[in-house]
Amino acid sequence: MRLFRKEGATIQIISFPGEDVEKGDYLKITDSTGKNLIVQVIDIEYANIPGILEELLRNHNNSLVQGEDVDPFEVANHIAFIQDAHLLICKIRAIDVQGELVHASSWLPSRTKARVKRLTVDQLLASDKNSFMTHLGATTRRKDIHIDVRALDGALNIITGKKGTGKSHVSKLLVLSLVSNGAPVVVLDLNGEYTGLNRDASGKPNSYQDKILVLTPGKNFKLTLNQLNIRVMLSILVNTLHLPGTSAREFKRIWHYLNERNALTLTNLGEAIRDWKCNQHVRDALFSRYYTLLHSGLLTDQAACTSLESELAKIQHGGGVIINLRDTSLTNRYIVVEYVLAKLIELLTKRRLRSIFLFAEEAHLYLRETYWNDIVTRMRHFGAFTTFVTNQPDTIRESIYRQADSLFLFNFTSSHDLETISRASKIDSETIKSVARDLPPHHCLVLGNVVNDFPVVAKIRELDVLAMGETRLFFSESQGSS
Amino acid sequence: MVNAQFPITTTPRYNFPLQVGNLQLPLHLIELSIQTLHKTHHQLEPTIPQQLSTIDDAALNTQLVRLKPNKQHITIFAIDVSSIRLGETSQGTLLAIRGAIVWKSKNSYQYVRLGPFPFHIPNHMKNDLHRLLNGSTYNAKAPTNLAPSTLYLQTRLTGILERWMQRSINEVTQNSIILWDGNMVAGTPDTPIKTMSKMLADARQQQNIILAFSKVTRLMLYNRKLTDLLLRQSPPCILMTQNYPQYENSIRNMGRINVAKLSKSSCTFRLDIDANLPQTEVIQAVQTLIGNDSIQNSYPETLRLAHIYSTFTAAEVLGLQRYISQESSLKMISRPNIRRILFGRFGKGPEG
Ligand SMILES: Nc1ncnc2c1ncn2[C@@H]1O[C@H](COP(=O)(O)OP(=O)(O)OP(=O)(O)O)[C@@H](O)[C@H]1O
Ligand SMILES: [Mg+2]
Repeated sequence: MRLFRKEGATIQIISFPGEDVEKGDYLKITDSTGKNLIVQVIDIEYANIPGILEELLRNHNNSLVQGEDVDPFEVANHIAFIQDAHLLICKIRAIDVQGELVHASSWLPSRTKARVKRLTVDQLLASDKNSFMTHLGATTRRKDIHIDVRALDGALNIITGKKGTGKSHVSKLLVLSLVSNGAPVVVLDLNGEYTGLNRDASGKPNSYQDKILVLTPGKNFKLTLNQLNIRVMLSILVNTLHLPGTSAREFKRIWHYLNERNALTLTNLGEAIRDWKCNQHVRDALFSRYYTLLHSGLLTDQAACTSLESELAKIQHGGGVIINLRDTSLTNRYIVVEYVLAKLIELLTKRRLRSIFLFAEEAHLYLRETYWNDIVTRMRHFGAFTTFVTNQPDTIRESIYRQADSLFLFNFTSSHDLETISRASKIDSETIKSVARDLPPHHCLVLGNVVNDFPVVAKIRELDVLAMGETRLFFSESQGSS
Repeated sequence: MVNAQFPITTTPRYNFPLQVGNLQLPLHLIELSIQTLHKTHHQLEPTIPQQLSTIDDAALNTQLVRLKPNKQHITIFAIDVSSIRLGETSQGTLLAIRGAIVWKSKNSYQYVRLGPFPFHIPNHMKNDLHRLLNGSTYNAKAPTNLAPSTLYLQTRLTGILERWMQRSINEVTQNSIILWDGNMVAGTPDTPIKTMSKMLADARQQQNIILAFSKVTRLMLYNRKLTDLLLRQSPPCILMTQNYPQYENSIRNMGRINVAKLSKSSCTFRLDIDANLPQTEVIQAVQTLIGNDSIQNSYPETLRLAHIYSTFTAAEVLGLQRYISQESSLKMISRPNIRRILFGRFGKGPEG
């Protein structure tokens, strides 16, 4: 390999046949100064040798002219060697000054003296083997990649990629490694995919049996009015059920009235609305919301039902609460999520929870506009560290991408999606566009903190957990084979 | 002589397709190539060739002949050779030559390329090499101390391959048209009169007609460049000259000089044809050429392809440089600018 050219933060290197270099590989450029430039191959092109087009037209695929060469010196091999030279488009990732990595691009090695060598990923990623290291998967060259789960601490992460590429899979892997390392995790599980995490692939309980708790709204997860404080209740009524302001004020009075008498039950609430002295329009408005809530199946007067708070208490020292939103109506999803987030904020501010890792699948389907900012600013401040998982990158605002500490990027073919991500992410857009387009399924480009800002392509390892919530197909495999 | 350091895998008799089946490799050229990349000693003297320059207008007779394409099938062969400088060593120059034969039969073109053959021309061996080259064509005259230029030796090497290919093609084919790039000037160290007259006689014997096309010519007639004379004539036509001078010093033109405008274009070419052929046969041959080959810018496609296939591309130059550095002990001290050598290439032909 020979150093060829530098343009901004891009270094071009010529590589010849036999020098096995792949997209995503890291290269170390060394010259006599003792410094090393660490670059990453983000694209591979044909070396643009003048006259090559003429040559190709002349020699190949030309059905009009056929012929052969009498080449006694076998120069053809050497010519092919030149013709097959590649141009490696590389991005400068760091400078290594006596073993210390500096993310900068200010130094340029000598073109004539520089030697280019391949660098393995484990030479770049945190090398100390501590218990926080999680096996993420392998590089395309089958070198194991470990990440330090502590890099997720205090962080905002995004997992994105097109449908079916493995986003939820890596998300599950992160959830399990956080849980194994004693962290509390809450998953907003849109498709009920995480409910199998406490069983192995064959369905038998696994080591997470007692650590992964599944709450299914309307089933083992119902709320008493006492659990809902008035703020959450009003927020649900106003924002989700669109209760007008005057009626909301009236509701607040009813709530306080019942609360003071320690009589907050669904039955009492219904009666209070009926008997409350108020305008008929207000009463109608309140009744229609009341019945919506009553029929949602989310509310109960049975105090014995599971409380989120008690479940969260169980996972304080490592565990996951899966909020299974599968088969939950749109309205109910909003209500449940509103409640869960409010509860988390409450527990965090009261310091009854030290911190929580929140995983949100396709959050735009249940998260109101106003909560997004809350999550990445206020909640983060209190100790809720969120990982968004989505196949629609444009549902996440640009400002959120900018604040993301780590990004797990799976394949995208749509240039619109790639544009969205590359515009917003801290890493150069060329890397994202060039690498993401070629990622095979189950492979992702990992960017940011978890990889020490050395973007790495990882084939995510398999998980021995029960697969749940996969798309139900009409023509199932068993149908095909029987 | 085949040097062990230079693995040569080809058999002396190469299996060519079609009529070219009996072509043999110019083994002496390969050997010469190997020798120059090492050290050999021969002694020879240089001879700088001279060229025909002007024609006495008064003595000249010209005749404009309009041509009608003759579609009767004939196989057309074309031969071209190129050379290129690969770079300098501390002792001299590295270059390479390659030849291409293209033929058209029915509607398909085929080619065979010979080479590339790399050569090293050390300055201290120029005279030896020159002597060796002349030895390969005719007996040397008295040696002089003047060393020939590298460019001259390059031309000579190229000429050897070219003449050899021209002769070989004539041997293996009959009743064909053979297109050359250049002319039929003889009496040069490259081409002694004896050699050229034998080549032309052999062609007549084989019922082949050689048409030699050249673009640039210094020949003047009526104070105009010969190739400009047909500018206003509508194609296809040919301006034939008669009783022009055949001798100038030791140089002899053994072809009849014609100017051809074979298709609509601003280009005309000098077209030399064996002076010993009757005029009717000459006209017939040109008409068959334009009836069989595609003619663009007044130039036959077969010959254009031969030119294209022989010239070197940048990757080939780089590949040859790599070959030299890997397969020989020669060290290149300067490499020519790839773009420059390609644009100012040594190869001949319409685009040359
Ligand atoms: N690294 C992996 N090794 C083995 N199987 C995997 C891997 N990643 C994903 N899979 C499998 O591929 C399928 C799709 O993966 P997953 O559900 O994670 O994709 P997704 O990107 O979340 O899809 P969607 O956009 O539909 O949510 C699943 O069956 C999953 O088990
Ligand atoms: Mg998914």
